[in-house]
Amino acid sequence: MSEMKIVNKAKLIEFLENLTPDFEVIVPWRENGNLLFGSLAYAKPEIDFIDRPLVPPKEYLLPQREELFTFTTKGGEIEVEAHLNKERRAIWGIRPCDLYGIKTLDSIFLSSYIDTYYQARRENTILMGLNCNEPCGMGFCSSMGSGPFATDSFDLLFTDLGNRFLVEIGSKAGEDLIERKANLFTTASDEDKGRSNELEKQCKQAFQRSVNLDMVKAALSKAWDDALWAEESKSCILCGGCNFICPTCHCFNIEDIADKYVQASTRVRYWDSCQLGGFTQMAAENTRKTQAERLRQRIYHKFSYIPANYNGVIGCTGCGRCIEVCPGEIDITNILGRMK
Amino acid sequence: MTENIYAPHLVTIEKVRDEAEGVKTFTLTFKDQTVGEAFDYRPGQFGEVTVFDVGEAPISITSSPANKGYFELSVAGVGKVTRALHLKREGDLIGFRGPYGNGFPFGEVESNDILFVAGGIGLAPLRSLINQMFTERNKFGKMSILYGARYPALLCFRDELSRWAELENSEVLLTVDTAPDDGWQGNIGVVGSLLPKVKIDIEHTVAFVCGPPIMIHFVILDLLKMGFRQDRIITTMERRMECGLGKCGHCNIGGKYVCLDGPVFSYQQLGELGESI
Amino acid sequence: MKKILTTCEFCGCGCNFYLGAEDDKVVAVYPCTSHPVSQGKVCIKGWMGHEYIHSPERLKTPLIRQGDKFSEASWNEAYKLIADKLRQIKKQYGSDSIAVFASAKCTNEENYLLQKFTRAVIGTNNVDHCARLCHSSTVIGLSQTFGSGAMTNSIPEIGNADVIFVIGSNTSEQHPLVANYIVKAVRRGARLIIADPRQIQLTKLATIHLSHRVGTDVALINGILNVIIAENLVDKEFVSSRTEGFEELKQGVAGFTPQKASQITGVPTEKIIEAARIYATGKSSSIIYAMGITQHTTGVDNVMSCANLAMLTGNVGKESTGVNPLRGQNNVQGACDMGALPNVFPGYQAVTNNELRQKFEKAWGVELPSQPGITVTGAMNRMIDGDLKALYIMGENPMISDPDMNHTEKALKRLEFLVVQDIFLTETARLANVVLPGVSFAEKDGTFTSTERKVQRVRKAIEPIGQSKPDWKIITELSSYLGYKMDYSSPSEVMNEIAKLTLSYSGISYNRLESGGLSWPCPSPDHPGTPYLHKEKFTRAGGRGKFFAIPYRPPAELPDDDYPFTLTTGRVGFHWHTATMTRKDWAMDREYPRGFVEINPQDAARIGVRNGAMVKVTSRRGDISLQAKVVDTIQEGLVFIPFHFAEAAANKLTPANLDPVAKIPEYKVCAVKLEKG
Repeated sequence: MSEMKIVNKAKLIEFLENLTPDFEVIVPWRENGNLLFGSLAYAKPEIDFIDRPLVPPKEYLLPQREELFTFTTKGGEIEVEAHLNKERRAIWGIRPCDLYGIKTLDSIFLSSYIDTYYQARRENTILMGLNCNEPCGMGFCSSMGSGPFATDSFDLLFTDLGNRFLVEIGSKAGEDLIERKANLFTTASDEDKGRSNELEKQCKQAFQRSVNLDMVKAALSKAWDDALWAEESKSCILCGGCNFICPTCHCFNIEDIADKYVQASTRVRYWDSCQLGGFTQMAAENTRKTQAERLRQRIYHKFSYIPANYNGVIGCTGCGRCIEVCPGEIDITNILGRMK
Repeated sequence: MTENIYAPHLVTIEKVRDEAEGVKTFTLTFKDQTVGEAFDYRPGQFGEVTVFDVGEAPISITSSPANKGYFELSVAGVGKVTRALHLKREGDLIGFRGPYGNGFPFGEVESNDILFVAGGIGLAPLRSLINQMFTERNKFGKMSILYGARYPALLCFRDELSRWAELENSEVLLTVDTAPDDGWQGNIGVVGSLLPKVKIDIEHTVAFVCGPPIMIHFVILDLLKMGFRQDRIITTMERRMECGLGKCGHCNIGGKYVCLDGPVFSYQQLGELGESI
Repeated sequence: MKKILTTCEFCGCGCNFYLGAEDDKVVAVYPCTSHPVSQGKVCIKGWMGHEYIHSPERLKTPLIRQGDKFSEASWNEAYKLIADKLRQIKKQYGSDSIAVFASAKCTNEENYLLQKFTRAVIGTNNVDHCARLCHSSTVIGLSQTFGSGAMTNSIPEIGNADVIFVIGSNTSEQHPLVANYIVKAVRRGARLIIADPRQIQLTKLATIHLSHRVGTDVALINGILNVIIAENLVDKEFVSSRTEGFEELKQGVAGFTPQKASQITGVPTEKIIEAARIYATGKSSSIIYAMGITQHTTGVDNVMSCANLAMLTGNVGKESTGVNPLRGQNNVQGACDMGALPNVFPGYQAVTNNELRQKFEKAWGVELPSQPGITVTGAMNRMIDGDLKALYIMGENPMISDPDMNHTEKALKRLEFLVVQDIFLTETARLANVVLPGVSFAEKDGTFTSTERKVQRVRKAIEPIGQSKPDWKIITELSSYLGYKMDYSSPSEVMNEIAKLTLSYSGISYNRLESGGLSWPCPSPDHPGTPYLHKEKFTRAGGRGKFFAIPYRPPAELPDDDYPFTLTTGRVGFHWHTATMTRKDWAMDREYPRGFVEINPQDAARIGVRNGAMVKVTSRRGDISLQAKVVDTIQEGLVFIPFHFAEAAANKLTPANLDPVAKIPEYKVCAVKLEKG
């Protein structure tokens, strides 16, 4: 593969700004203590940060609310207009957990029936990752093999070496980006690469949270009827947060919103949550009636069904967001730890 | 440009027939002839039907693929979309995308006697299979169709049932749950009560069971008691569906999607799904 | 995409989150991790509850009634008609023949302007709002005992309480982020006492659940007070230095032995004793309550009993203690603070107080009425009697939210002139002569005050839909048609005016609010705000809290042979009140598409009703038919109906029996009969 590069931290903005005529450049930025993804046009990005935005970048590929079609009735005829988004975007600062999440979403959306809308966005999105030198508050990615440093699924991958970034090139698209401002990049030395390896090792040793993934996999066939599902779901208030902020959660609902005054309707796709009671509601019955069953579905979907259906890729990146976002203080690492 | 997998094709309602109480059968053609010509499906598959300005719903295809140029859907008006569909008239346009799902085994069950056990609108997907089998009659042995509903007005495809009964090496037995007073002369009892009335060569028969979940449950118990092997009992599962093609995550039972790996499952496969059915 | 930080439009928790706006549509929600209450968490309404903003049914133009139908009109036409009619009615029948209902959903600035309009332009004190229906008991009860009718402590403090006593609050569903702090506290080892006739979600985490009969709260608490005194668990130091009236209280509860309390409430004696001991011995015990105790004919009594309990054990004026009413609406606290009440100006300054009234007369440049006006519940009767001729409603739906729906409908239809300012054509708006299209929280700037007295910014994310206008603009424009100029270039200027006239808001300005919310009292521009009240002394005149001996009075309408069941009404966590907004959100609608009645399994068996079957529920006021939900979390003889669903309106059944002082209806208790079908 291509050699690794170095770019001075001070030059990063210049590199990103250079992309703006051809891409919407999306970066992490901080407001009132909150880390969010936003357009470079709006805000000065946060280059030095430990954490990750609470809502992962999956929303650039699978938006919270996405208009799929407009149907217009005109004198007996019906016009079907699709709304595909092919705008080019380049996202910088994606943590390894989120890169892994996109890899999982790619497996699901770009296989079998290829999701037309996801594909349109994905083909036009450049992913620039940023490795983690410190574990984030709730993260356990090192147990999941998805972090703290990424191994694949990026166009460019940055590692913070202090006053400079080590840059790995993961694709031709990434290489092309570097070519645009080649003068900002120098070749990485062995010392640089060694420093990067050091940082990865240090980070891995600093994790407070961990999960024994092998034990979880082995426990799946035995834990189905365990009392833990009812116990752990006691305080779930059905907010859906754990699914919404999860880098791999992809379930959605489709609604047609009709404006009867103009005889037109819009078909919209929204994020949905398997923790909601209505998720499995049919006309005559609901096939998952208890919160215990729904919590179990979330865990099994991530650790059993997705790996089985998509070549072993796991439906959990260990980012820890579901722990942060839960008003019921439900902790996935506790649940996984109880599965024996 | 590759096809938009979510785009509904425009479909004209050629005919609407009152099939039974609360059930209508729609005969449909694709507005775009090229799409119509390329359209092919297997019995047991379904499509996502759009009633414009209302929504989408998954509905099994009831016509048999041997019929070219049109297809049929039989729909019970039980929800927002299906009730709106019932208000549509001949000439109206609706949307359709499909076919989705795995469909019934066909070639795999050749040389067997086939036992069909259906309840209510559950006959609709089986009708597709029955008619398809009748076009390749010599591949299959005796065909026994056992069909029941809660009361006579709910029985679908009455004309066809009579026609099937006349065909060689076929038998049709009907029943209703409760005795009404509109002159019903036939059997009274649940559809499972018809099983003892037919001669079944268990070793060489494959059973297809479709209907309300509770009916399927009891009929399968009866079939197992009779000695049917679990992989020779074929049924269909229903779950809430949105996309119909394995992306939205709603219809899974365990690790399988009803829209992709189903809706047709053998009883043995159901046992391996993990999640209770 | 723009990401705008704003305050939630639903409940009184006052969570903040970012709205993502693209192509002038709200398309995304991002939790706010730095907010002390929401801490990066959001309930389902916050995540998925905003689709109504873009519903095609949004009102986009003013509507004027022509016979049975409405026709679209211009703003000018609508304002002119309203101004002419109000002027004519005022001239013919006097200012007091007109009343105004303000809105606990609208901003502080809007409520301030509307009460100013009512007093300065119309010339009456007939302004009130839905706080009457939920926490008027609180405002009066806590004012009398503590001096201030608001939540004494802040929400985050609950997380560090040693004991939490939740009475009459289904916190997980109605105040999810308060429930989060309760969960945190329990995980830390706090003990949780729940008093509720139904088993609620928090019961699963509770140390003890007291399932008392509806309406017996005073008896229950008096029993607990009796035990605390009898077992010498009183905080004598606090009682002697910070309170007055202890002897009267002691005498008053002397007869309320736990046995007597048990007899009245149905709670086993040992449980009453255990609850008393747990609460009294906690290092910091916090009482949390809501509608379960306020919506009674004894609402004020119930609240004062809670105050008694807290003072007796020294659990006020300290961190993680207090008496904490959970205000329902996003801005019901603010609407009260802004004086949208018939007896007070902004800041609870009495209209009858000459000096205070003169202050407002000077500020507003006009003479102001000195007689207290009527309440929303009182107004209904005056409408039927023909005394009230015109009503102006902003952001409220009394048809579904007021008790005794038939009575409400009759009252509204008797009016000569009804104006409704709202975002949808609600059941109430359908009866109006003129309908004015206001905007949602995403289409305007302003402030909301949450249940913990925190004033926070609401920020505009998208432009008003169609020709709708921000509600504050509507009020100022209408005012000019009536000859009174209200010249504000922005809501920020309105807040500056509020700050000049209201001591507790004096230190609040939009500049300061940029760095976060401020909890009142905030009396000066450098005051940091007040997390908990009554630290050194109570705000009551004299500085001491007052005990009141509360006698037990049963609810107004109890079951009898004709109506053998007790009906209690309430809410679910997915729908919001009259569901004008949430029934247009697919996620909420999918969860609860229709109304239901909770019935105990024994009762269901007795009347021959299975889960999901239709039941007819009848009271002396009317009847509704809805699906049965057979659950074992409700007592025998008790049924529960959520009031959200217009076609199965619980308030068709409820009576307008009011607390004599607070005038709050007894939504929580009435008698019904149940029949199959």
